[in-house]
Amino acid sequence: MKIVIVGNGIAGNEVAFSLRERTPEHEIKILSAEKFPEYDPCSLPYYIGGDVPREVVFRRSLDDYQNKNITLVLDSPVVSIDPHAGAVVTAKGEKHFYNKLVLAHGGRLFIPPIEGVDRQGVLSCKLLGEADKLSEHGGSTAVVIGSGAIGVEAAEALKKKGYVVYIIELLDWILPALFDEATARRLEAALRTYGIQVLTAEKVLRIDGDTAVTGVVTDKREIPCDTVVIATGVVPGTALAQTAGIEVERGIKVNSRMETSVEGIYACGDCVETIDACTGEDVMFQLKHNATEQARIVARNILGMNATYTGAYAFARAHFFDTHAVTFGKTSRSTACLLGDTEVIERENGKDYLRLILLDGKVAGGQAIGTYADSIGLFMGAMWRQDDIKTLRKNWVNIVRAGSPYPWIYRKMGWLIGLSATDVSSDAAAVCQSF
Amino acid sequence: MSSKDQKIFVVDERKCDGCRECEKACSHKHFGVCSPRHSRIRIEAFGDGDLFVPVFCQACGDPLCIKVCPMNARIELANGAVVTDEDRCIGCRTCVYICPVGAPVENPVSGKLMTCDRCAEDEELPLCVQACSKQQALRFVDARVVARTTARECAARLKAAYKPPKVPE
Ligand SMILES: Cc1cc2nc3c(=O)[nH]c(=O)nc-3n(C[C@H](O)[C@H](O)[C@H](O)COP(=O)(O)OP(=O)(O)OC[C@H]3O[C@@H](n4cnc5c(N)ncnc54)[C@H](O)[C@@H]3O)c2cc1C
Repeated sequence: MKIVIVGNGIAGNEVAFSLRERTPEHEIKILSAEKFPEYDPCSLPYYIGGDVPREVVFRRSLDDYQNKNITLVLDSPVVSIDPHAGAVVTAKGEKHFYNKLVLAHGGRLFIPPIEGVDRQGVLSCKLLGEADKLSEHGGSTAVVIGSGAIGVEAAEALKKKGYVVYIIELLDWILPALFDEATARRLEAALRTYGIQVLTAEKVLRIDGDTAVTGVVTDKREIPCDTVVIATGVVPGTALAQTAGIEVERGIKVNSRMETSVEGIYACGDCVETIDACTGEDVMFQLKHNATEQARIVARNILGMNATYTGAYAFARAHFFDTHAVTFGKTSRSTACLLGDTEVIERENGKDYLRLILLDGKVAGGQAIGTYADSIGLFMGAMWRQDDIKTLRKNWVNIVRAGSPYPWIYRKMGWLIGLSATDVSSDAAAVCQSF
Repeated sequence: MSSKDQKIFVVDERKCDGCRECEKACSHKHFGVCSPRHSRIRIEAFGDGDLFVPVFCQACGDPLCIKVCPMNARIELANGAVVTDEDRCIGCRTCVYICPVGAPVENPVSGKLMTCDRCAEDEELPLCVQACSKQQALRFVDARVVARTTARECAARLKAAYKPPKVPE
């Protein structure tokens, strides 16, 4: 069997190497738009910021492909699919025949229709080639357009390199898809303390400059700068799938076996639209762990193992300098139009903040900053198990009285959401003295 | 070493009396100091000392921390332990957040995250287990033996804490 994989990213590699782990048979070929062995997009901001050397972004070397008998064709973006002939065509005009095809080409950077986006010094950090340019760029003032996780990470990276940094967000608060306003405002304040200028509810109108960037014009001001980073999101690559007549919506539609609407063609990773593992809703999270898990399902189904994907989940961190935050599941905003009783539990202790979103008494999502974030896994567990927080409240006294036979995680969750002031967790500082 | 030959930890928090000898042993082995901040195992205390829970990395099957680490710094060792490659770690704490029990601990010297390495290969038994010999709250046993007996009991009790999300293997 000839297996062709489009895209040499997280998902594509996971498909190829999981297949090889299970069988020495079949021809496995990856067609890559880029010139590198697998790297991790998540690592790019830390390479740009100088936290790690460039080689750390790579997950594999060219030898790894050779050793596993996987053919890697570099610099060959696929431009069309002919499902009747069972072939794909690359930009170079080369044809590659397949028995099974896997679309794992992710998404592409969304470039907003702003005048001047083609100026020199308008950069991004979605691809390694772009990250290289940004890393080598010798600017001094940068405007980051878009405050999603990638924008915030890029801002931190450039700040570390000594740039004066602005972040511009069109919506009312930063990280708008991941965090609610209360959490985001705290993160915004934290960013400012590190000297990053955060401008929300502001629209970029134009990028100025003859050839090189000289400034950014918004609906509120003009910012002179020599660097612009586009971080306005990633759009799933659906155009390629459409050349094969594959059904797409926001992303490529797949069933629970990760099959597209055209037989013999699978899809996984940032290019697909799938379901939320907890709620069953159609979602596009575009996160690494989902790409990995989907890819493993593809590999098993190609080998006829009949594996079912149970869904994707939202889980992301926001981290810059010594501020640490995390989010999972739904935000208040994304529950706003759902039926059912919603409740928000908030806890605050100095800079630490916990926010839990309950839907009908069950954890639907959570956000945390600082030490509360370190225990967020307990609440994610509660979401997966569908623990009833109302019951936890009602039974709290009994849980404490029952002591150790009752799973301690309930004890800790109760303490974290303030059911008891005295039920304290370990205090390393206090114990230190007693050693 | 196949996974069947591996040894695994069995934790019985009902036997833990909060003596914290495990924390001392761990921090001493890895940092040469006795300090809970330097320990990869931590004792969580509840109430007026009515409940103590040893919390540390259990190296779950198909660990989520490996999948979510943006730097690919979480790695599985041949002895089954899942540890952090400090050359890659940026201290972002994603491994702490995804962990069902928040096991990874910040290395106070490097600022990177660290988890139990089972004392690598250089001890017969992990030192925390040796230190806990009186209480037997921590044991390190053959995965095959434990599979039939204690594991089941332990798993039932701790299922709630360690049950991973419904994800494919
Ligand atoms: C800066 C940054 C930070 C991130 N941080 C996080 C994080 O902290 N946590 C997290 O979970 N996720 C993060 N993500 C998202 C994560 O990287 C993606 O979800 C993941 O890489 C998706 O894997 P994928 O294989 O679907 O796509 P990708 O990894 O993007 O791979 C797709 C590959 O296909 C190639 N390709 C595209 N079109 C074609 C074509 N026509 N022919 C051939 N090849 C093609 C691309 O060049 C690319 O190499 C981050 C992303 C970025 C950009």
